[in-house]
Amino acid sequence: MIDVNAFLFSVLVFSLIMNLGISLYGIFWRPSLVKKIIALTILGDTANVLAIVVGYRAWIAPNRPPIPPVLTTWKPTATDLSKFSSLAVDPLPQALVLTAVVIGLAVTVFLVFLTIQVYRLHGTTDVRKIAKLKG
Amino acid sequence: MRRAYKYAVLVAMIVSTLALALAVSAGGLGYALPFPAVRNLAYWYLRTTYNPFMPKFTASAPEAVTAIVWDYRGLDTLFETSVFFLAIIASMALMRGIEVKAPKSINLSKYGMSAIVKTVTKITVAIILAASASIALHGQLTPGGGFQGGATAAVAPLVIIVIFSLYFAVSSGIKKKSMLTLRTLGLLGIGVTSFAVIVAGLILGKAAYVFQNQPKEAAPIGFPSHILGVPMGGTLLFFNIFEFLAVAAGFTIVFLLLSVPEESVRKVLEGGEGHD
Repeated sequence: MIDVNAFLFSVLVFSLIMNLGISLYGIFWRPSLVKKIIALTILGDTANVLAIVVGYRAWIAPNRPPIPPVLTTWKPTATDLSKFSSLAVDPLPQALVLTAVVIGLAVTVFLVFLTIQVYRLHGTTDVRKIAKLKG
Repeated sequence: MRRAYKYAVLVAMIVSTLALALAVSAGGLGYALPFPAVRNLAYWYLRTTYNPFMPKFTASAPEAVTAIVWDYRGLDTLFETSVFFLAIIASMALMRGIEVKAPKSINLSKYGMSAIVKTVTKITVAIILAASASIALHGQLTPGGGFQGGATAAVAPLVIIVIFSLYFAVSSGIKKKSMLTLRTLGLLGIGVTSFAVIVAGLILGKAAYVFQNQPKEAAPIGFPSHILGVPMGGTLLFFNIFEFLAVAAGFTIVFLLLSVPEESVRKVLEGGEGHD
């Protein structure tokens, strides 16, 4: 029997993978550098969402949803800790993604600078014309 | 014909997404997504991130994400910081020779948007800075940290540049040089914090590691885990503060350079590229 929640979750995963394909199309086939940068940001953000989805866990019971990986008590007992580790989602993908978002922004900014300078010097952002430039 | 081809691709993608999802949720791989349990590694992180019963293993931060970013996988984050550093440096190298400065004898009130927008912006900038400081300084207790706080704080100079004009921002102290100093201070602080415990170990004659946070079995010294009863996460607080400075100042430099007027940039480029 097909579980509706599992089906919707799988739709999310596979639509993210399709999104990766679309952004790869944008990176490889679109000639404009600006559109390549836009597709690259879509690729990065999709990869980040995919990483977060990988760290998600299913509901243990209908009224026990997963919780964020943040312990809300400063003087935990042993029961608090075991309850926390049995309910919290995987913190590792979130830790990787939070740095990846900021680094991605910095790299995007560098590519934007590169494109602006190319446009200022050569008057085009079309890679087919840039490839033929001499000197 | 071309149009029909595009629609065919679109429909094929949607149909294959739904078909694959149906296959997986019907048990095509032998299991259904999402998994009910996290992996053993994640279980270990969740178990030890703030655990007073295992003092040799804990990172003493109730927030597992910050604990992973700066303690369990601290070296990873150090290299990510260096990627960030290189990206900003590369942007600045591309824009070398272009100065961010206001012309002399300029009437600043003539530039920018209306008085209503400026007044609202003054209030909003204060709120943005307070929120970003809260995100960065409570990084070991609540979701947040240096990266998120720094990226939030960098919105404030961006808003000032857009609403008040670049010349106002430069004349009120948001300069490329001062931001570069702040950024260097932040990166220096990250370096000092990561070597602090090993230097203390050398002085006290005890074993210690680079990037050490809490005392370990073979290295019995570390940063204080609590101050006045509040979990401080040892090095995590310092890393968050310094990363906050580095990220906020780095993005401010980039925003300043991106908003230099086109004519002055072209003047520099044409002056530098002699055609002879």
